[in-house]
Amino acid sequence: MEQKTPVSGGGPDRPARHVGSRKRARAFPKGRQLENDALEDVQELLRGKPRRADLLIEYLHLIQDRYHYISAAHLRALCEEMRLPQAAVYEVATFYAHFDVVKEGETPPPPTTIRVCDSITCAIKGAEALYEALKSGADPAEVRVLRAPCMGRCDTAPVAEVGHYFVDHATPRAVETVVDSGKREADISRYETLAEYRAKGGYAVLEKCRAGKLPFDTIIKEMTDAGLRGLGGAGFPAGRKWQIVRSYQGPRLMTINGDEGEPGTFKDRYYLERNPQQMFEGALIAAWAVEAERIYLYMRDEYPAVLHILAHEIEALEKAGIIDKGFIELRRGAGAYICGEESAMIESIEGKRGYPRNRPPYIAEVGLFGRPTLNHNVETLYWVPEILEKGAKWFADHGVNGAKGLRSWSVSGRVKKPGVIVAPAGITARELIEMAGGMEDDETFKAYLPGGASGGVLPASLGDLPLDFGSLDKYGSFVGSHAIVVFSERDDVADIVINLLRFFKDESCGQCTPCRVGCDKAVALLERRQWDKELLTELAQTMRDASICGLGQAAPNAFISAMQFFLDERLGTEMAGRA
Amino acid sequence: MTDQLLFTLDGKVVSARPGETIWQVAQREGIDIPHLCWLPQPGYRADGNCRACMVEIEGERVLAASCIRKPAPDMVVKTATDRALKARRMVMELLLADQPPHEDSPDRVSPFWHWAEVQHIETSRFPAHDIIKPDLSHPAMAVNLDACIDCGLCVRACREVQVNDVIGMAFRGIDARPVFDFDDPMGRSTCVACGECVQACPTGALMPKSIVDPITQHGTREVDREVHSVCPYCGVGCQLSYQIKDGKIAFVQGRDGYSNENRLCVKGRFGFDYVSNPQRLMKPLIRKPGLPKGVNVDPANPYTHFREASWDEALDFAAKGLAKVAEQHGNSAIAGFGSAKCTNEEAYLFQKLIRTRFRNNNVDHCTRLCHASSVAALIEGIGSGAVTATFNEVEHADVVMIIGANPTENHPVAATFFKQAAKRGAKLIVIDPRGQAMREYATYMLQFKPASDVALLNAIMHVIVEEGLYDVQYLQAFTENFESLKKHLTSYSPESVAETTGIDAKTIREVARTFGRAERAIIFWGMGISQHVHGTDNARCLIALSLMCGQVGRKGTGLHPLRGQNNVQGASDAGLIPMFYPDYADVKSESVHKKFEDLWKTKLSEKPGLTVVEIINAANAGEIKGMFIQGENPAMSDPDLDHARAGLAKLEHMVVQDIFLTETAMMADVILPSSAWPEKSGTVTNTNRQVQMGRKALALPGDTREDLWILVELAKRLGLPWTYKHPSEVFAEMKLAMPSLDNITWERLERESSVIYPCPAPDQPGEAVVFGDGFPTQTGRALLVPADVLPPAEVPDEDYPLVLMTGRQLEHWHTGAMTRRAGVLDALEPSPTASLNPRELARHGIKPGEQMRVTTRRGSIELTARADRAVQEGTIFIPFAYVEAAANILTNPQLDPIGKIPEYKYCAVKIGRAHGDEPHVPMPDINATASGL
Repeated sequence: MEQKTPVSGGGPDRPARHVGSRKRARAFPKGRQLENDALEDVQELLRGKPRRADLLIEYLHLIQDRYHYISAAHLRALCEEMRLPQAAVYEVATFYAHFDVVKEGETPPPPTTIRVCDSITCAIKGAEALYEALKSGADPAEVRVLRAPCMGRCDTAPVAEVGHYFVDHATPRAVETVVDSGKREADISRYETLAEYRAKGGYAVLEKCRAGKLPFDTIIKEMTDAGLRGLGGAGFPAGRKWQIVRSYQGPRLMTINGDEGEPGTFKDRYYLERNPQQMFEGALIAAWAVEAERIYLYMRDEYPAVLHILAHEIEALEKAGIIDKGFIELRRGAGAYICGEESAMIESIEGKRGYPRNRPPYIAEVGLFGRPTLNHNVETLYWVPEILEKGAKWFADHGVNGAKGLRSWSVSGRVKKPGVIVAPAGITARELIEMAGGMEDDETFKAYLPGGASGGVLPASLGDLPLDFGSLDKYGSFVGSHAIVVFSERDDVADIVINLLRFFKDESCGQCTPCRVGCDKAVALLERRQWDKELLTELAQTMRDASICGLGQAAPNAFISAMQFFLDERLGTEMAGRA
Repeated sequence: MTDQLLFTLDGKVVSARPGETIWQVAQREGIDIPHLCWLPQPGYRADGNCRACMVEIEGERVLAASCIRKPAPDMVVKTATDRALKARRMVMELLLADQPPHEDSPDRVSPFWHWAEVQHIETSRFPAHDIIKPDLSHPAMAVNLDACIDCGLCVRACREVQVNDVIGMAFRGIDARPVFDFDDPMGRSTCVACGECVQACPTGALMPKSIVDPITQHGTREVDREVHSVCPYCGVGCQLSYQIKDGKIAFVQGRDGYSNENRLCVKGRFGFDYVSNPQRLMKPLIRKPGLPKGVNVDPANPYTHFREASWDEALDFAAKGLAKVAEQHGNSAIAGFGSAKCTNEEAYLFQKLIRTRFRNNNVDHCTRLCHASSVAALIEGIGSGAVTATFNEVEHADVVMIIGANPTENHPVAATFFKQAAKRGAKLIVIDPRGQAMREYATYMLQFKPASDVALLNAIMHVIVEEGLYDVQYLQAFTENFESLKKHLTSYSPESVAETTGIDAKTIREVARTFGRAERAIIFWGMGISQHVHGTDNARCLIALSLMCGQVGRKGTGLHPLRGQNNVQGASDAGLIPMFYPDYADVKSESVHKKFEDLWKTKLSEKPGLTVVEIINAANAGEIKGMFIQGENPAMSDPDLDHARAGLAKLEHMVVQDIFLTETAMMADVILPSSAWPEKSGTVTNTNRQVQMGRKALALPGDTREDLWILVELAKRLGLPWTYKHPSEVFAEMKLAMPSLDNITWERLERESSVIYPCPAPDQPGEAVVFGDGFPTQTGRALLVPADVLPPAEVPDEDYPLVLMTGRQLEHWHTGAMTRRAGVLDALEPSPTASLNPRELARHGIKPGEQMRVTTRRGSIELTARADRAVQEGTIFIPFAYVEAAANILTNPQLDPIGKIPEYKYCAVKIGRAHGDEPHVPMPDINATASGL
């Protein structure tokens, strides 16, 4: 028997339903839904690639490269494919400057991006005017103009990047010509290939190591005698580092830090664009020495030509049978200075934000993927084969003023011939200026940065100090990556300091209070008409004492040294109106 | 101790235990070091980012964060040097610069303000940042990032402690801030509202909305008092603390209980305002004569069908009615449904009342509807119905199988431990026809065809046998019947079941190997296993699988049916089961029978009583004529509701004791308004066998009474000589009947809040893992019981082509009586939904969000279509909490022959768009006063 009755559960007036608010329920489960089209796009991009969490940044690049931005739909699809939570992916995507995450309802960026370097050398060479001119001239539907931190081309300042094509000595006209030409990829310079490197005796040292003709202890002795130190900026003795890493239970890993982001520094790029295989040989010797299972080479995204060369040369090494396939894994940074800090770089290789780690434990013990890790800067490795070939003495003897060895000085600013100058450790700023052709015409040497943005600013009166690790300690200063930026009387020290602190504020990872809030407040204080010396000094002390990593610890060097050495500069009325 | 190391702390040589940080040692030594991003609570990793806890270490260039830095031998640490103090103060001053003024803070008593005050930081010399607007999109929580200090505790709370993975720390530098998903408004994110972030936040940037002014966003966590208790919702049994202000629960904090370690879920944290819902029954009610019984009363206005009565009148009326039925139709015409929502003491008294006054065993409760089949299989196999290991043992497991359970929705806090295990590296095997949140953490997600459990599990065991992965020694020492099981399994090759189960043979083999090779494997299951006509067989397979691999009785191993209700374990232990007296004492056994007759000083029936569905059938058949129902809602929870409601409506006399006018109470002859959980004291037993103390926190509202008082008063009027005044007296009597409570006393529970049974001594903790040396069976061995594939009772056909599965959802408890009257829970899930795969919806021309109709041979309901990719095509999922579209109108009342549990997880349905016309509902073949009212 069938009978027409109302839906069960309530009567005609359905009084029993009076429970709850009875609002309409959601049409979907909680949160952002997956879109099929976006999923297919991402699956196509990731075809054949492993869904490993450490590759997240690589895959974000794939989306960014293909679409010029990363839509929320694609990002959501990437989460699905990689089985990663939305928050975990979003925090990584928004940490790095080179990813443009575009949410629902937001306008995607135009197809072409022009980045104008606004770091210190470019800044004194007219970056601001260039930026303003490009910005006012650009059609926002076609081109966007962004400020960007140091591109490692300070010898050709000011610099702009159109897509990935660099315009050296940039003028608005030159940049616009490139925009119109459609050129977007970096020029690849002529460099020494693997075959050429081998032809002149390259890889002989590595072969000796592998053949057992060069025992570990000998190598350590050579490294120690040569006095080779970490040339990324920290100056830790290389041989000692190898011993420490080897003392921890394997399996061990090695990383190469190619995140040369310190403003004023371009020596790593210099070597890799000319002779990449010498660095690789050094790396493979180091990896052999510490018995590393694998090498991860982290290269900053600001060096597209280098990335191209490295990918090509790694393949060449694999083909030549010098390394097994996959032994060296190239990882691409994504626009974050902090990833030059070794533990931040390791986090980035693991597919995360570049947050420096609290130490101890040091990465030599607990590094990449939790394993003992040997990390080296590019230049440090570059010297290794040469030292082992020519002997420790050859290298050590180069030093002057009590220092040991050779250094690659990135010299830029108000000098006639800026560039990488290979010169002894312990040399002075004045000597380097001379080697760089002297000051530009009509310019008087006033001040210099001995170690990029981090090492403080010193007056010309201290231009005869020997420059080496530790030699500037008593001036609250250091050489770091050996980036010398030279200023003249026309440069305002207050402007320089504000530029440097804005850089640190932009590049602070945001993890610890002293650096995150400290850099921000420091910029605000420095932009004031009158500097509050007492408060700035107190702030500096806490930033130095309590920041997790070197960024926050070194950031105050600029304003502390400025206050110490440029008192007469007084940073007073001339600062009015600046914001 | 040898592992300890010595170092110097503020001039004194102190020792540190392995893994201890400087902060922890200092704390122990009575040195209070400020801390913001460090939360000294279980599960929280030190992160060392706020730098509020800096100390000086001799010989080091910079200061160290004491929360994360571990002392080394002979290290010299100074906590109070000028340098350290200055750094700490500067950190506070930097942070304070961007805080709202103290008096405008969302939490005026936050740890941040505490540490600012301690260090005398009242103002900041730094310029302030722009104000950040609040995010008030979530019904439960206010987000005021203006007060945020980027300490990341909320991220750790969400990602590492609860593993819900909704909060991240996005952007960089000064722009860094916590975000939900892709920086979405909290209320539109995937947030499950566990509130862990709120509990962890040291500034008030994340606060329960209940204690923040909705306009000004000023607030405080300051309260008048707190009361420690336990959550009334699911079987996890989280310990909590009611924060009471002005006599009301202002908010709820998790407490460090064994099963929850401070964690709560959305219900336990934000689901308590039901106690003051205006629909609360405040006066005893007696039915007005002549009105048809049915689900036909407005729960906000019972006076259309009921009149108020005094307690004396109502109790007399209730007692006389039951007595009269017994007199006229015999004692067997009476039955009682106790409740797994009530206390152990109440459950014990309830069954004692029915058994001693009416001399029958017709007393049951909702355990019948959830794990009766699991219990049947467990008792048959290993001689005990409770879990062999607490779910916390997952911490030690290397393989974790979760089958037919959706713990992120139904046991959310237990799920956090499972997800943590997976993150730690344990292999997680999730087997469920429906995809679920747990899949994101799973090594294997087997989304198999509904009801093919036995085939799949037999195939897994087939591989284990075939590849010799079973534990020969264990089988020989502790089990029997392996040979016959082995023989039985030969016909279940993975290839032979691939089609039935929808899982390819290779995957089955991999899963079998993973389980078979595990060092320590633990199995969790839920109602996807038990609620089938082959529920007992499903459980038998799991028991056999675990036993053949020797995965019972050791750390990190075991069988754990995740119990549903907060006290379903306790209510069952206390004897709310028709075939058992307390502690599963068989009513048929002569010695047992004698024991209880002696204890209770009265004659008892030796005949097992009727189970829940049987009682309803008997009511329909006119055999049961009087019922006493305490805190259960069979008019929503039983299968085939038209039939169930008709049975209840047919009763001559029904007494209901409850806090709301539930759908069952609507059909009562007399309603006794009772106490909500926070208004009484008593013990409950969770899925882990933890007996836990619930404490009274609120005064009884209106003319309501505590349940225990009502039971005693009713018993007295039924002629029983009861004098219980306090649950402790009942507990003392229970101990006489229940050896499981040995070494657990009321006083101990008051002191310790929780004790696991069995417990070896009054000063020892209970046993987390049992049966390491045999089983409480007659032989001391476990019995392996082969199971064959039995089809579901109703399979899809041309007319009814889809499979319906019913269950619960995170926000709503069971039939919704409490949760649909809790503001936050209602706001999150306000009305009924049917979840289907988007492709399935498209196939039927139904758009997500549209009203759709779902029909079975038993009835139709209309509800909102929800597109959910996790639901496989050909299936549909409906939660059963909603009276306006009660899923159980649709379900099939066919029972598992052994467990007597209905097949809630499988019946055939058809679907379509709701067009506004009236759907056809076949009439049940009974007097249909209850139908369709």
